[in-house]
Order: sequence, then C-alpha cells, then structure tokens
Amino acid sequence: MVWHITKREIYDNLNSLRFALTTVLLLALMVTNAVRHLREHPKRVQRYQDAVTESLNRLTAHADENLYKLAQYGPGNFYKKPSPLHFCANGGEPLLPDMVEVEEPNVFATDSEDNILLQGVWSLSYPDANLQNKSVGPDVSQVDWIFIIGYVLSLLALLFTFDTFSGERERGTLRLMLANSVPRHTVLIGKFLGGLLSISIPFTLAVLVNLLLISTSSDVHLTTEAWGRLGIIFCLALLYTSLFLALGLLVSTRVQRSAVSLMLLLLTWVTFVVFMPSTLASIASSFSPTKSFDEFWKQRNPVQEDLWDKYREWLWSDELDDETLRGKSDFYTEHVERSERWREGQLKYRSSQMHRARAITSISPATLLQHLIESFAGTGFERHLQFVGNTQHYARQLREFIVDTDRGDPESLHIINVREGMSQKPVSPAAVPKFEDTFDLNEDFNTRAMELLLLTLFVVVLLAGAYLAFVRVEV
Amino acid sequence: MLLTLIRRELLDNLMTFRFAAAILIMLLLVVANTAVLIKDYERRLEAYNTAVQKHRQDLLETKTYSAVGLTAYRPPNPLSIFNVGLDKRLGNTLRVSYLYVPTLWDAWKHGANNAYLNIFASIDIVFIFQGILSLLALVFAYDALAGERERGTLRLVLTHPVRRGHILFAKYISAMLCLLIPLLMCFLLVLIMLTTSASVFLGTDDFFRIGGVIFTSFVYLSLFYLIGMLISAATRRTGTALMLAMFAWGFLVLVYPNMILTAIETDPHTDTETSVYNQIKQIWEEFDRERKQFLANDPVPGEDWDFGLWGDDGYTFWGGTDDSSKLLYYESTGFHFETLKEESEPQVPHAQNYHRFFGLQVTNTADRTWIVRKPALEMIYVQPAKKEQMLLKFSPVGLYDSATEAWTGTDLSGLQDFFMAGQRYQQAVVDYFLDNKIFESRQWFVAAKGEIDWNMLPQFSFQRSDIGTNAKRALPDLFLLLILNLILFAIIFLIFVKSEV
Repeated sequence: MVWHITKREIYDNLNSLRFALTTVLLLALMVTNAVRHLREHPKRVQRYQDAVTESLNRLTAHADENLYKLAQYGPGNFYKKPSPLHFCANGGEPLLPDMVEVEEPNVFATDSEDNILLQGVWSLSYPDANLQNKSVGPDVSQVDWIFIIGYVLSLLALLFTFDTFSGERERGTLRLMLANSVPRHTVLIGKFLGGLLSISIPFTLAVLVNLLLISTSSDVHLTTEAWGRLGIIFCLALLYTSLFLALGLLVSTRVQRSAVSLMLLLLTWVTFVVFMPSTLASIASSFSPTKSFDEFWKQRNPVQEDLWDKYREWLWSDELDDETLRGKSDFYTEHVERSERWREGQLKYRSSQMHRARAITSISPATLLQHLIESFAGTGFERHLQFVGNTQHYARQLREFIVDTDRGDPESLHIINVREGMSQKPVSPAAVPKFEDTFDLNEDFNTRAMELLLLTLFVVVLLAGAYLAFVRVEV
Repeated sequence: MLLTLIRRELLDNLMTFRFAAAILIMLLLVVANTAVLIKDYERRLEAYNTAVQKHRQDLLETKTYSAVGLTAYRPPNPLSIFNVGLDKRLGNTLRVSYLYVPTLWDAWKHGANNAYLNIFASIDIVFIFQGILSLLALVFAYDALAGERERGTLRLVLTHPVRRGHILFAKYISAMLCLLIPLLMCFLLVLIMLTTSASVFLGTDDFFRIGGVIFTSFVYLSLFYLIGMLISAATRRTGTALMLAMFAWGFLVLVYPNMILTAIETDPHTDTETSVYNQIKQIWEEFDRERKQFLANDPVPGEDWDFGLWGDDGYTFWGGTDDSSKLLYYESTGFHFETLKEESEPQVPHAQNYHRFFGLQVTNTADRTWIVRKPALEMIYVQPAKKEQMLLKFSPVGLYDSATEAWTGTDLSGLQDFFMAGQRYQQAVVDYFLDNKIFESRQWFVAAKGEIDWNMLPQFSFQRSDIGTNAKRALPDLFLLLILNLILFAIIFLIFVKSEV
C-alpha cells in the first residue's frame, strides 16, 4: 500500500512544472560547479606541487651540507594538500592559510663586523587567516555542493511538500483517500517516500552529470577513497533533504491552505538556513573578549627574557667546553620550544573561539550539513587544524631523526643545535623523513558523529511530529 | 470607484495570516541583527579611536623627521549597518610616506582580532530585505489576478463599469501600501535602536541617506511585486503561479548572483602585473644609480650614505618593500640619532646636503612610479570588479545592493574617497617637507634640543562625501530599477487587457 501511494505521488510530480524547473536548475548549478572545478583545480594542484618541490629542495640542500645545517635550518615550509573533493565544499579556502611556515633561525647576537655569535634553530609558525584580500569585487559565495544542497535543494524540498496535505485537502482528495481502508501512517510514509524519490531523481541526475564531467577530465583524478566519500556526501544530502521534506509535511498537515503553508515554510527556511548561521556566529564571537596581537606579544616577552637570565653565564662565553656548549644547546632548544608553545597558544585560543562559534551555529541544520560535508570533503577549518597537527607531528619526527643520526656519528659530541657539538657530516637526503600531508577520515568521523546524530535526530523528531499531527488532524 | 477597489484590496491583504507571520519574522530578524551590527560597529569604532590616539602619542614622542610614521585611519561608517559593502573588508590603516602614493591595496587592518571568525558570513539589513522583502512581495502578488480568476470574482468585478487599468492599479497601490507597513516598521525600529545607541552619531545627511535606502528598498519591493503580478497575469491557476513565483525568487535572489560569478572567469592580468612591476623597479634602480653617483661626486670620499656619523640611541635603516601583486616597490634608507658625537659634527653639513638631493629625488621617484602604478592597479583590480558588479546587475538583487551601497557610501567609490583623501594628505605632507626644507634640515636625522612641533604638520582629515555625491552614485541603479518597474507594469497591463476572463 505504501508503495502504491509512493508511486502515485511520483507520477504526480513527474508531470509537474516544479519537477521540470528543478531539473533545469540543479543541472545548471552542478554543471557550473564542475566547470569551475575543472578550471581551478589543476592550477591549485600545480601550485601545491611547485611549493612542495621547493620545500623538498631546501631540505635536500640542508641535508647535503651537514647534519648541523639540517638541525639549524630544518625543512622548507609545509603546504596543505588541496582536496580532490574541493568542489563539494570550498570551506572558506581563500581565508584559511594554506601553509605552516618554518621560521629561519633567530640571530641572538652579532659582533661589530656582523658575524653571528649566537644563532638558534628553526621553529614552526602558523600564519594568520588571510585577510589581505586585494580583490574589490562583490563578495558572493562560490557554488559548491554545500551551496547547492544546503540552500537550493532544501528550498526545493519545501516546494515539493508544502501542498502535500493542504493541497489534497483543498481539492478534497484527501477525504477520498482516507475513506479507503488505509492507515494514516501508511499515507504519511507513502507521501514522504514519494517526495524523497521525486526530488532525488533530478538531484541524482545533476550529481551524475557533475561527476561525469569531473571524472572524465584528465586533469583531475578521483581515487576509490574519494568516490567512497562522495557516496557518503550523497547520503548526507538525502538525509538533509528528508529533514526539509518532513518539515514540509508537518506544516502541511496542520495548515488549511497551501499558500499559508508555503509562507510559513519559507519564513522558517529563510530564518534557519540563511540568517541563523551568520547571526548566531556574530553573537557567539562577541561573547568572548578577543585578544589582539599586541596582547599576545606582551605575553611573549617576559617568557623569553626569563630565559636569558637563566642561561646568561654560558651564552657570553667563548669557551668550547662541554658545559658551555650544553648551556647554549639548552638555551636554543628551550627558546624554540617556548616560542612554538606561545604561537600554538595563540592558535589554540583562536580556534577555541572558532569552535564555540561553530558549536552555537550548529542549531541550524544548514550549518550541520556544512560541517559534515566539509569534513568528508577534507576542507574547512577542522581540516586546517588537522594539517597543523600533521606538521607538528612531522616536526617532532624530524627532530628525533636528527638526534638519532647524531648519535650514530662517533666524532660528534652529541650536543644538539650547537655547531661545535654536532656531527659535521652530510646526511643522505633519502634517509631524512619527508613531510606528507595526509587526510585521515577516521579521525574526522569521530568528531562529526555527534553532528550526524543531531541531524538524524532533527529528521526523526520532525517526522514523528508530522505523524502525530497527521493522525490527530480532522480532514 | 478606484478608492473602493483599493479599500477592498487593502482589507483583503491586511487581514491575512501570511501578512502577520511575515511581519513578525521580519521584525525579529531585523531587531536581532541590528543589535549584533551595532555592537560590531561599536567595537570597530573603539578600535579606531584607540588606534588614532596611539598614533598621536607615538607621533609626539618622535624626535626626528626621518623616524616619523604618519598613518591615516579610516573610521567605520555608521551606515554600514544598513549595507556593509566593502567597509569591513578593505584595510583601514594607511601608512603615509614620502616613498610612495598610498592606495587601498597598501592599507591593512588594525584591531583585526580573530581573523578566522571572518569565515562566517556577515549580514546587514539590506541583505535581510533582499531575501525577505522580495519573498513577501511575491507571496502577495502571485494570486492577485490568478486567484480572482480561479474564484470567479474577477468576472464579477468586470461586470461593473470599471476599467481594467483601474483594477490593476488599485491592486498595485493597495498591495504596496500593505507592504510598506513592514518595511517602514523595520526601518523605524532600526532607527530607534541606532539613535538610542550611545556610540552611533548620525548627522542630517545620514538621515537623508537612510531615506535613500528606504526609497530604494521600496522600489525593489515594488519590482518584485510586479514580477509576481506578471506571473499571476500570465497563468491560469494559482498553483502554477505560486510555483513559478518561487522559482523566480530562488533563481533571481539565490542562484543567479552566486552562479554567474562562479561561472565567469576573470582573466588575471599577470603580464601587465610583471611588466609594470619591472617598470617601477627600474625607476627605483635609476634613482639608486643617481643617488650613488651623487655620493661618489660629493666632497666626502666613498659612497657611504651614513657619512660615518656616530651617536647615541641611534640606528640606521636600510630596507624596502617588494610586493609584485600590489605593484609596490620602494627602498628606504636613513638614520636617526638622539644625540650626535662631537667628532661627527663636521659631517653634518654633508649629510644635510645629501638629504636635500635625496628628498627631491625620492619624492620625484614616488611621483613617477605613481604615474605607472595608478592605471595598472585600475586595470588589474578595479576593472574586473566593475565587470563582476555589472554582471550581478542582471538580477534586481544586484541593482538593489549596489544602489544601497552607493547611498550608504560603502561602495568602492565611497571607500576610494577615503584613499583619495589619504593621497591628498600624502601630497600635502610631501609639499610641506619640500617647502619647509625639512629633508635638508638637521632634524631630519638628529633630535634637536627643542622638540619638533608636530602640530605644524598638515593634519589628516576625512569627511564622507556629501549626500549629493551619494545620490549621484546611486541614481543610475535606482533609475534602472524604476524603469524595470515601468516596463513590467506596461507588460502586465497589456496581458491583462487582452486576456479573456
């Protein structure tokens, strides 16, 4: 019986004007999206590869010289690997930095002829979000899947369901249908499935055209794993659409006239999808006092000065004995540790603020969808933090490697980060660990499970509401 | 007769549930967002005030002319609450130096707290109206004619001796009167909130500008009402009319503006960029050669530009900037001493002599680079932006946005006013330096007993353009919106007169 009603609903929709318009609209959007991706992505990948090659060359050059040089100058900058699924979610890409810098070693003291007396070692530094946008053009969002699904598809879902019951009631066919021996919940499920299937048809078509365009191009390669993630994103889209279908059914059962039902639905949609995310984000960000760069800078100075006092007696000595070298080595190491910790604290402070704003905006289903798609597409803020984590992990690995290699050289004094105390032999570049930015889906899935549950919960609650409303309504 | 018709329509519309719901949601959104926007404006204003104060203090503590760092700060625009435009996006701190003519691409942001938070889109009042007013207008309009036709009342009305034009007109007038209520209520609330806020100061001109925004909103509203009415006149059934109206809304408001800019490719002017940048670099290299030649020919042996001066609490600086994407290149050299050692005194006249030459040449070089740089920046950044803006104007949303931006002064021209003032200020400072022979004065590099009177220096001042200029910038778009209104009305009239009931 359910299938019967579903079938009737689908036939009804297939012939309608809205079905035709939906197909055209979704196709146009998806084609635009694919064309844009095909144009931009190869450039993005090229930029990334060039940058990585340059970093590798620096690493190789340092390793070729000697171990101390490698320990002092470290690797070149780290770059974030562009996601092949960038077309699904651009994730604020123009704003987020795409690199973690490797700072040149600090020069602490020079003599009057500019000869370096004290020089530290490399450290990690996290560039701030890129605000220096030189473009003065209009500010619009890029058409990615998040836009297509989050805004357009949800609106279409409402347009497909707003008159499900109120329309039938207006025409009088609802009474006729319920006169048959059909349980009401069967009618509801049939209507829901019918709506879902009839909106999936144009959406699937558009997605297929989009993926066909992207996958047939020789410039962009999608791996099996990427296809899997695309599958998940597709399912997410259906779940999200169900939410709006359920909302449409709920309102449509309670409201007598379809025009009023549509008006209510549209206002709800505009509020939750369009305005809520940005308004709530602004409110959330004004909660916590923001620290300016000056304040962070003030925190830094006392920490570093204290260090100077601690190691004073060794720093100004020219002796090459073990104790002095060890003092210098400890100073350099601790200095780098402290500045890295300071910079990380700054990043952590800012990201905790971001997390708070993101958590509050999660009331809006559109934001939930955005976060979920971003995490499966491997873009956005969380991905950025993961990239930063990767670089930190690699930095530790490289430092350990240097200590281990130094241990293997019998001529070395094994005092790290000081020229006189370290191995002066070149290192085989092949042996040095290389940085590879990886994207780990599992790690992300755990953090996103909560949001997935929340989205599902929304759907279930709305469906249950629609069921209750429909069972109790008088026809 | 017309009055009767209008009264009937008014009552019909005002008593509906959709009307009440729409007003409620709109008021809620407007109030919530205005509160957030005012808070945000207050924060920006505070950051601006502290920056200006700090700069003043720093200036008073400066002891030599060469060490001075003059900066012009851009105050936040209170009308950015209505349409934020570029007000928050572009830099608000402009370094004014004799080394280059400052432009908006050289400005940066003070008080940019947590830059990551900019990932979230910011909204303004015009954005709310863009979405909701148009929706409201369409919902009012879709059944204006189709509904009456379906119910059969249209036939009834036409049996009376009424002209069809009158019916149309009555419907239009009454609906617009109805729609005006939420519009004015929202603006009234915003104005109340603005005037009660302690930090927002609005002048008489500002109220006229807000009036311009209200009028533009009204015309925009009317345009969408007419779009709805056109659909209503052209279709037989309300269901179809509603569907078409919703798709029209989705396309015009949501899809088109985003899609068109995703689809088009603004070609990067990398060739111009590199060639102009190299040209600028060459001009500087030429300057450097002349400078070296001067140093070689002057009575002091060697090409040493610090003349072996030695003093306390001093520094020499040698630096510059090269940023090919901004087409900015300069080199700066100089030195600064609190007190000079006795044995360096004989060198001072030579240094002064050198700086006379340096001052003339460096300002000349800055002017020469500006001649090349200005058109190139225009071509690389402004022209693509104008093209994008033009493409957006194929949707009423784009027209409405750019017209209100022009009224509030947050459009590109409005912001350029500030940077133009910065350029004039830079010129004034350079002229002051040259006229008062400051480059060749001793105080250029050595602090003197009597401190420098910084109040003599030209002061930076910036006034937003007057209301006339705003109106002039807004009028083309407003005019287009009005024309579209007229055309639509004419089409509706033709369809309605010819249609069978």
